[in-house]
Amino acid sequence: MRTRFTTLAAIGAIAALALAGCSGGGGGGGGSASGGGDGDKPFKVIAFTSGNQTPIGAWWVKAVQAKADEAGWDLTMIQGDFDFQKMNPQVESAIGQGADAIFDGYTDYASISSIVTAAKDAEIPMFAMDSGTEATDAFVLNVTTDQQGIVDSTMGAFDEALGGLKGKNVMVIGHDPHPGIRMRAGLAKEALEKAGANIAGGDIQKVKSPATGRTEALAIVADYLTAHPNGLDAVWVGWDDAALGAAQAITEAGSQAKVTGVDATSEAIAGIQSGGAFLATIEQPWPSILDTLMEAMTAYQKDGTLPKKNFEAVETTLVTSENAADITPSDKLG
Amino acid sequence: MTTTNTQPPPTKVPAQPRTSIGKFLVQGGTTIALIALVLFFFAMRPDVFLSFTNVRNILFQVSILAIIAGAQTVVMVVGDFDLSLAATSSLAGAVAASLMLGGVPTPVAILVALVVGLLIGIANGLLVAYLNLTAFVATLATMTSVIGLAYLVTEGTTLFNLPGDFTTLGQGRFLNIPLPVYIAIAISVILWAVLRFTTTGRKWYAVGGNAEVSRLSGVNVRRGRLLAFAVAGLISAIGGILLAARLGSASAVQGSDNLLFSVAAVFLGMTVIKSGQANLVGTMVGVAIIGVLSNGLNIIGVNSYVQQVVTGLIIIAAVTLSSLKTRER
Repeated sequence: MRTRFTTLAAIGAIAALALAGCSGGGGGGGGSASGGGDGDKPFKVIAFTSGNQTPIGAWWVKAVQAKADEAGWDLTMIQGDFDFQKMNPQVESAIGQGADAIFDGYTDYASISSIVTAAKDAEIPMFAMDSGTEATDAFVLNVTTDQQGIVDSTMGAFDEALGGLKGKNVMVIGHDPHPGIRMRAGLAKEALEKAGANIAGGDIQKVKSPATGRTEALAIVADYLTAHPNGLDAVWVGWDDAALGAAQAITEAGSQAKVTGVDATSEAIAGIQSGGAFLATIEQPWPSILDTLMEAMTAYQKDGTLPKKNFEAVETTLVTSENAADITPSDKLG
Repeated sequence: MTTTNTQPPPTKVPAQPRTSIGKFLVQGGTTIALIALVLFFFAMRPDVFLSFTNVRNILFQVSILAIIAGAQTVVMVVGDFDLSLAATSSLAGAVAASLMLGGVPTPVAILVALVVGLLIGIANGLLVAYLNLTAFVATLATMTSVIGLAYLVTEGTTLFNLPGDFTTLGQGRFLNIPLPVYIAIAISVILWAVLRFTTTGRKWYAVGGNAEVSRLSGVNVRRGRLLAFAVAGLISAIGGILLAARLGSASAVQGSDNLLFSVAAVFLGMTVIKSGQANLVGTMVGVAIIGVLSNGLNIIGVNSYVQQVVTGLIIIAAVTLSSLKTRER
């Protein structure tokens, strides 16, 4: 009995040592704990996104993998399928095995607080792309697009198409769970009120699910136009898919109202080019944003240099019938 | 004046009449709710709510839900339910769109999409009827896989630029009424007739009522359930194809809210008839409630979050009525 116990204890001790060897020490054992690459081992990066099922998210996964291959990184890519219960523990587990840097794609920091804590505990810097609309100490750098700039551009397009916004009836359609859309919808409402426009329906019309955004927006606009024939001059929508639903409702109702969206998807660009209700959309420069982040991560890999500021909001491009042909649609990036 | 002190004759206390107001409300509650909703929204916006344009709007908005709820009714008649119907409809729309964009003629693409829906329905039926998996587990699993397939077919994007002859199916009009409305009515009438007048329909009801008794009575229970799932898969594919035609595009998750609403419509409909069983007329009343509620609340400008709360409360009320009725029986 005693011999058996000793054998079991020995096996246990060996297994524990083996596991400790595999997982490395502390948070950064698998990578270089001092920050930056250590020269001998490849730079170890954990990349994750919850939005891999969206066209832009899918592009990001492929683009980061390609750039990591090019840079010779040891990349662990975790795809969350919008399921934080599944994704967060996977990322935390990867952090536990050590890394040099973490790269968050399109996942708002509000949804990943446990990952942020694990990264801070392990002293691994997190770089992020479009992962929140405000500066936060969760990231050493988060690069996103300028929400105020998006609103200013789209308002300019309305202003030009409608001959001014004063007294015009404009509906704003948003989606609260998405921080970018929530922020820009709020800014759009403010801008419209400031310009003297009437907010159709009295407040921001909220779509509940991005999956059904198009049908929801279609129903909201169709019902509004039924109740208020000729009661709409424009519809500002926070993203293209719902904007396409709004444009369809306007066309079916025979209204002359104009619609703007954000994202520059192929379908939205085609809608703009067709000369119908879809007036304009916004191109967000994701490839150049990714380049900026890759530069920042490479600088950190080289000598541990961290970015000077932790938040950057870059300019976007208004897409109208004039430049639509020159724009690469966001769903055709990859 | 003489008074006679007479003892009152022994009275037999009559049993409480079973047609009390309470019972009336329980039995007719859902239909009454629909009428009340129509009257309420008409009172709020008399100039708009019952106008031709708005009624057409409501019919257009619920036409695809009506088709998918019809499919759900068939499965619920046999005592099961299908969580994969909305996913199947999305996949069918995506398959049709993908094929058409690849140059396949529209009728062929539609046919293939219908076959896909039928095959998923058959798979569900085999899992439930022959492998004895619970409908919940089987259809949850197929739903998961079918959503994955839809992502594969669409490559995670939205497929658009669909041929004009296809989009006409969803956007065209006859006598100023959108074509999906006619298709929804036609499918509903066919399903109603099958459930009410055919041997198959009666067998389905028998299986849903008591599978063991049906089996002992000579009904092939397994085949009945398989057929119900197959029919549901096929019909949901029609719904998905029409949705793609209506929107002029197809994505992996479009129309996903049809799952919840189709189940809700059938539950609402179960309160319409005395037996408390799933039935097509009742389901259409349920669909009408959901459509009227959504449209009416939009018209009077109620926040969409509040709309969701109200819809949920109405479903709870309907299911409660249904359970009261079942208890009474």
